[in-house]
Parts: sequence; structure tokens; C-alpha cells
Amino acid sequence: MFKEMQSLANAQMTDASPHKVAGFYPYADNGGTLAAIAGDGFVVIGGDTRLTTGYQIYSREASKLTKLTDKTIIGSCGCWCDSLTFTKGLHIRLQYYLYENNKPISTNATAQLVSNMLYQKRFFPYYVSTIVAGLDADNQGAVYSYDPVGSTERHRYRAQGTAGSLIQPFLDCVLGRGNQTAPEPEKLTKEQAMIYLKDAFMSAAEREIGCGDFLQIMIVTPQGVEEERFKLRKD
Amino acid sequence: MSNSYPVNTGSSVIGLCFDDGVVIAADTLVSYGKMARFFDCSRLYKVNQTTIAGCGGDYADYQFLHNLIEQKQIDREANEQGVDLSPRALHSWLTRVQYNRRSKFEPLWTSWVVGGIDEGKPFLGFVDKLGTAYKDSIIATGFGTYMAVPVMRKFYDDKNGRITRDEAIGLMKKCIGLLFARDCSAHNMYEIAVVDANGAEILGPLRATHDWSNVKEHRTS
Amino acid sequence: MFLTRSEYDRGVNTFSPEGRLFQVEYAIEAIKLGTTAIGIATLEGVILAVEKRVTSPLMEPATTEKIAEIDAHIGCACSGLMADSRTLVDRARVEAQNHWFLYNENMSVESVTQSVSNLAIQFGDSDSDGNAMSRPFGVAILFAGCDEDGPQLFYMDPSGTYVQCDAKAIGSGCEGAQQALQEAYSKSLSLTAALKVLLTILKQVMEEKLNSSNVEVAIITPAAGYRMLSKEEIENAIKEIPA
Repeated sequence: MFKEMQSLANAQMTDASPHKVAGFYPYADNGGTLAAIAGDGFVVIGGDTRLTTGYQIYSREASKLTKLTDKTIIGSCGCWCDSLTFTKGLHIRLQYYLYENNKPISTNATAQLVSNMLYQKRFFPYYVSTIVAGLDADNQGAVYSYDPVGSTERHRYRAQGTAGSLIQPFLDCVLGRGNQTAPEPEKLTKEQAMIYLKDAFMSAAEREIGCGDFLQIMIVTPQGVEEERFKLRKD
Repeated sequence: MSNSYPVNTGSSVIGLCFDDGVVIAADTLVSYGKMARFFDCSRLYKVNQTTIAGCGGDYADYQFLHNLIEQKQIDREANEQGVDLSPRALHSWLTRVQYNRRSKFEPLWTSWVVGGIDEGKPFLGFVDKLGTAYKDSIIATGFGTYMAVPVMRKFYDDKNGRITRDEAIGLMKKCIGLLFARDCSAHNMYEIAVVDANGAEILGPLRATHDWSNVKEHRTS
Repeated sequence: MFLTRSEYDRGVNTFSPEGRLFQVEYAIEAIKLGTTAIGIATLEGVILAVEKRVTSPLMEPATTEKIAEIDAHIGCACSGLMADSRTLVDRARVEAQNHWFLYNENMSVESVTQSVSNLAIQFGDSDSDGNAMSRPFGVAILFAGCDEDGPQLFYMDPSGTYVQCDAKAIGSGCEGAQQALQEAYSKSLSLTAALKVLLTILKQVMEEKLNSSNVEVAIITPAAGYRMLSKEEIENAIKEIPA
């Protein structure tokens, strides 16, 4: 199926078609960037709200973050129709979990479920970048990232999506601090993590056209989820 | 399977939220490739008094979905008296249908603009052949994204998002005129669907004039 | 007791005019023919104990397993038709592992019980494919385990109805045993004290003399999970109870 799909996508024009159209390709790249930072007793996750196709902006107000529970957020971007379908399917699974187990699902259980749901479509994948951010059983911040087929890892911080490759090295520098000899900074606070996220997205919006318009941030603490919005470049 | 392509196609659809309603406009031409094939095909659809929709892309696929939606609305009227298909519900339903068909590699080659009044507020949404969907106060498909969106967005921003019904209809006429001037597969016969608290109606067919002053107004050189 | 029932006790899906499902009631009666099984939930953990009927000296007592491990943190004790219990225990194990696979966490005791009860009420359901039995399962099960809410004990009967208990006795000696449990139980019981209570009651209701080969005991604690007591451990425990 994939082979057919690829050859169709490559074909400049389908012979029988009266139009100059490329063959049907079931995926689209609608851009979007996600980043999350975990700390002691909090996690922050940010996503831009720009939805694109090629050089064109579909919408400036498309939220990529979804609150799943009081402790868990999911961010999804890439092929937007897959993102929509995946998060909708996840909502159904979480509701089932609630009914069958009489408790809201934990961040760690969500992380495993997301991996399984992505892998279930191994041979016709959801073409999405995913981050699950939340608090674990000990109220420690947790960030899980995924590739389109469910490969996953838990991190302290992670960037994904079109500007992921711009933001990740910045976070590596200020948070990972590998090989740096400068004295260790103080313990990361929620406020400092927010500043890093804002700086990262503002920088990314300067250089990456798929990232821009607004930055939406969700802040998870044991008290619940708060949301903030900041303006990014609109051009 | 897998050799899906559009045959007879409609071009752009444009839509806009105004203060207490929504307008959607599209011309009535259906083309076969570069040939202007059918001149009088309505691509706007009044689903009920709260919901309207416009469709570009393959006209047969539009008619197929039109029939399905019509049957849905009839079922609602028959079984759940007074419960109309809301624009939000129609938008969500179309997203699922389009996504399921793209997943079967049998896409319905259409892009939709769905509008209406949802819980008292204007609603405007977009769905394409993959099931890509979003909601916004300004939406256009096809060439309209290049030609009409900048004009609509400027108007919208100049008015701080406060637009009357008449202004919205006027803006649709202007944008259709721009498309007629510059999009070779656009047509001068068009319709405008309007929905507000008083109900939905389709205006037209209307006729765009060869008015190039419109075009010049938006030229920068 | 059931003199007017003859017309309505054939089909499992037919109510009697008084609104009863006789086949289900018969299945519940069948449990009273089974061996006694008792469970106690304490703050430290849960204990399950069952009587094994060794009907012949030529029989190998170790082959009758009435207590089974469901997962590392859950066990169960059955009374009734042991062949039927295999199907239910198997379902519980599958569901527990599936939950772990999907969510990377232990399944709660109540969720395991719920999933088994889903199978138990499927009798006579010709729509569901293959798994459905034509009659109710002839077993009652005590599910014992430790999850994030602490030590838990659940009792499920052949109709699929389940309820959480502090202490519960099922099987032939259940009436006497339940009465004795009510008198002996307190929330603050230690695990060793609870084991003593259990064996004492079992001893009272068993026809045979209690010894280390005609009783099975499993203890489930938050730290060690499910653990079956060895023959020696049972022998030592029996020595502790009044003769």
C-alpha cells in the first residue's frame, strides 16, 4: 500500500485526470512546534497556534495542546488530520479508562497508552509528533516524547515539530548543560522554565516559517492546570 | 483503489463571520479541467435555518455528500422534531467522513466551508479531503486563500472584527469580483449564503461585473 | 423451598412470574456444595485460605489448586465447580496482563473483578462469539490484592454480582464461618492475628481434621505481593492455634 502511495505521490499528473493534479497522498505537513520542560512539582508545555500547508497559513488560532486530566496534557502536531483523529481517539480511551477503573488515568499510564495507540497503526502511521507532559505519582514533572509509530522516552525537557530542531539545542544548552564548566544554576523554577519556553519559541519564530502567531503554554502543578498565551511573529 | 482524482470541479469558496452571523460565497461554475463545463451549478447548501455550507473540488463528491447530509437532516426532522443539524455537528461529522475515506485511500475530493449559528454564536469551519479541520472567523479554499483572505483579513482588522451583515455581504461581492478577475477557473455567476439569528438564506444567483477598479485598489505596484 | 418453579427453571434467559432467574439461583446454591474458602482484608495485607477435600489417601492433595495467582499483586480463591473457575481465572489473568501492557501499571483489584464479572454474566448470550457459556458459571470467587488503595478483598458470585468485603467466607461452611468472622474481625487486626483467626474458623467448619495438606493459604501484601504459604509455614501456623 505504501509503495503505491509513494509512486502516486511522485506522479506529476494522473493520466486520466483532466487536471494537472498530483496523485492522492494521504498525509499533509501542517507544521507546528511543541516543547515541554519538567521540574520539581511542575511541568510546562508550550505549542504555537499556527496551522499551515506549504507557504500558506490555514489558521493562526489552532491549539495543539489538549488537557487530558488535571495532571496530564498532550501536545500533537504534524499531519493535522491525524492529530485531530488521534487526540479524539485518545479522549475516548481515557473515558473508557475512567469508567472501567473508577479513577482518572495517571500521566505514566497515559504515556504508555499513547505509545500503544501510535504503534497500533505501525503500517499506516499517524504522521504526528507527540509530547505527553504531566505530573507523575510523586508529583514530579514528566515529559514523554514519541515518534509517529510510538517509540517513546521520558525526558526532563523536549522539543518536537517543525522548529523542534531549533529549540532542542537551546534547551540542551540552558537545561542539559552537557560538558559545561560554568557553575550549576539554581534549581529550576516554574517561572524560569516559562522564560526558557518563551525565549525558545520567540527565537524559533524568527527563523522557522512553520512556527508563529501565538504561543500557548499550559502549566501543570499539583493545584491543577493554568493556561497562558503570548504573541509570536505573525509574518 | 488509489487512483482517485477530481474530474468536474468547482473553484474557491470563501466565508466570513460577522457580528451575529456568517456569510459563505462561491461561484456557480463547474469546470472539466480547463474547460468551463457547467455554468449553473450551485455549490452552496442551506442545510437548515441554522446551518449553511459551501463546497469546492469534485462536484460529484459534493453531490454525494449533499445527499448524505440531506438525509441526515430529514431523519432529524422526522425523528427528533426541532433538533436541527448544528454547524458544529456538521463540521465534526464531515471531518470524520473525509478522514475515514482518506484512510481507505478513497478520498472524497472536496474542501468544505461550514457555517452557521451554534449556541447563539457565529460558527465557521473548514474541512478538506484529508479530514484536516479548523475553525476560524475567516476561511477560504483554493485560489481564495491567496486572493480573498488578505482582503477579508484587512477589512476584518480595520473594523476590529465588528462587521454588519450588509458589510459582510458587500465584502463577499468584492472578493468574488477579485476572484473572477484573476482566477481563470472562476465565474461571474455566484451565490451568497447568509445565516443569522433570523434564519438562513441563499442570495442569488448574482452576477459579478468586469470591474477592474477593485483589482487596482489592491495592487501595490 | 422451590415448589412452584418447574416451568421456569429451564432457560437461563427466562424470568419466572415472580421475577426470578432460577438457573442463576441454582448456580448460587451450587457454591454451597463447594469447599469453604475464606478471605480477610487487614491494613497490612489480605489473606486467603481454602479447605481442600482430600477424599482418598491415594489422592495427591497438591493437584487441587483452589487458590490462584492472577498477577504479582492479586490472587483469588474459588469455591464451586473448579473446572469453571479455570475459565474465569484465565480471563482475570489475561485482563491483568493486558492492563499492564496498555498502561504500564498494575490493574486494580476492583477492575479485575469487574472484568471477570463481565464474563460471568455473559451466559446464554448467543450474540457474543465463542466465549459465552450456555449456563451460569458454578463458582464464587474471592479476589484479594493490594493496589494503590491498599489491601482489598472482593467477592463475586455466579451471577456476576460483586461486592467489596472486609472478610468473607464462601462454600459449604460459609454460614458458620461468616458468623465467626463477624465476631473475630476488627480493622486493626495484624496479619499474623488474621491468619490465626482464619485457620481457627476453617478448623471449626471443616469436617476433616485441619492439617498442612488439606488447607491452602495465600498472603498478599503491598511489599511482597502475592505469596503462597509453604507446607512448613502452614504447619507452624496450625501449631499456634488452640487445639
